[in-house]
Amino acid sequence: NLFRDNTSIYNVKGIVILDQDGNRVIAKYYDKKMFGTVKEQKAFEKSMFQKTQRNTSAEILLLDGVTCLYRSNVDLYIYVLGSNRENELILESLLNCVYDSISTVLRKVVEKKALIDNMDTIILILDEVCDEGVVMETDVQAVVSRCALRGDEISLTDQ
Amino acid sequence: MKRDKKDDESGGNIYANLDKTAVLQEARAFNETPLNARKCSLILTKLLYLINQGQSDNPVTKYTTLPFAGEPIGRTEATGAFFAITKLWQSKDPTLRRLVYLAIKELSVLADDVIIVTSSLTKDMTGREDVYRASAIRALCKITDTAMLQTIERYMKQAIVDKNGAVASAALVSSLHLMKKSVEVIRRWANEVQEAVSSENHMVQYHALALLYHIRSVDRLAVNKLVQKFSKNLLRSPFAICYLIRIAAKLLDEDEQADPSLFTFIDSCLRHKSEMVVFEAASALVNLKTSTASELAPAISVLQLFCSSPKAALRFAAVKTLNKASILLSLH
Repeated sequence: NLFRDNTSIYNVKGIVILDQDGNRVIAKYYDKKMFGTVKEQKAFEKSMFQKTQRNTSAEILLLDGVTCLYRSNVDLYIYVLGSNRENELILESLLNCVYDSISTVLRKVVEKKALIDNMDTIILILDEVCDEGVVMETDVQAVVSRCALRGDEISLTDQ
Repeated sequence: MKRDKKDDESGGNIYANLDKTAVLQEARAFNETPLNARKCSLILTKLLYLINQGQSDNPVTKYTTLPFAGEPIGRTEATGAFFAITKLWQSKDPTLRRLVYLAIKELSVLADDVIIVTSSLTKDMTGREDVYRASAIRALCKITDTAMLQTIERYMKQAIVDKNGAVASAALVSSLHLMKKSVEVIRRWANEVQEAVSSENHMVQYHALALLYHIRSVDRLAVNKLVQKFSKNLLRSPFAICYLIRIAAKLLDEDEQADPSLFTFIDSCLRHKSEMVVFEAASALVNLKTSTASELAPAISVLQLFCSSPKAALRFAAVKTLNKASILLSLH
């Protein structure tokens, strides 16, 4: 199993964004063994959301052997999932990159409506930071410059 | 009225209640000339969203009962959508083009005859736009098979040593995925991969090291040499150093006669300036089968320091590892 061997670089099991009611806004799952069906994914999202809501200050939780790191803002919860044997700081650097890239693209308005209005760029960001479970990039500047392609709307100096 | 109600239910998320048939109908706009890039981007985003919701490698039977995304996209429909998407190549809109690459990757497992875009992707891969090159490489490797891999081999070798980080990383990680299919071809790229390990770009260094390890992993001696070489302060990327620690720990765990300098290397990483590396080293020492109490002492003291970190993830990681260490020590 690619996700079990310690020398595998398939470190990320998923990146999930939920809204304030725990509904999926967008999700990418890379561990097909654990999250092969939508049913399994939704069930996991539900219990993850319940636990997150109960303790919003924790930023990290262990659920069914999956380490979930998260950050929330207004009506969004952004999660990065990894194995319980994974270096939490690697997952954290990915989470920070996802959050900060989204924040930059949405001009600091990290809210559901803004995210939905920019869904194309958000999908590109998720593709840019992680490839089939491999961390691709954790540098926000690099990610944003590769994704925010509509130059007329986003200026890199405007942060 | 009815529409408003639907919008309320989905919380204003236009993607939440997408109808597959409607989206596939809309995809007909891809055939229009001139193309409306904004409109096509939106439709393509909807399509990606739909695929994402019903995502799986075997997309038949399983989700037909789920109401939220309707039925999964069938093979005929996916193939139809795929061919419509190929029309979008004529657009010069960068966002649209990037979405096209993404759609190709997603549809590569759902549609037939995806290899028809090989030449378009090869052209983009070797073109001037760096943003396109990286994405094109990733898409191309996703649709390629062993036979075709030979024809793009030359370009892949070039991309691996490309000075643009995104391009090199895309080529390296794609090669890693391809190792599941054609180990022999990828092994021939060892020289380029080795060159990429000395890249200035941190992620490239990490991806190259991982690929190099997987190329050599069948040969114990070669892996040993690899660790010896790169443990001498040659790596600058914290990700790469973490990875090297894992290889070293694996060697130590599997071979009782392993070189003691491997242990010294991991131990020295406890003094690295990156917390990620320090934690990786401490965690590796705690997980080593052979660690003694005195060998564990320095690891335990850095973990104790981490317990007062303002970062929740670091406190969590430290406590988890300390717990493991205390169980181990109580067994001695």
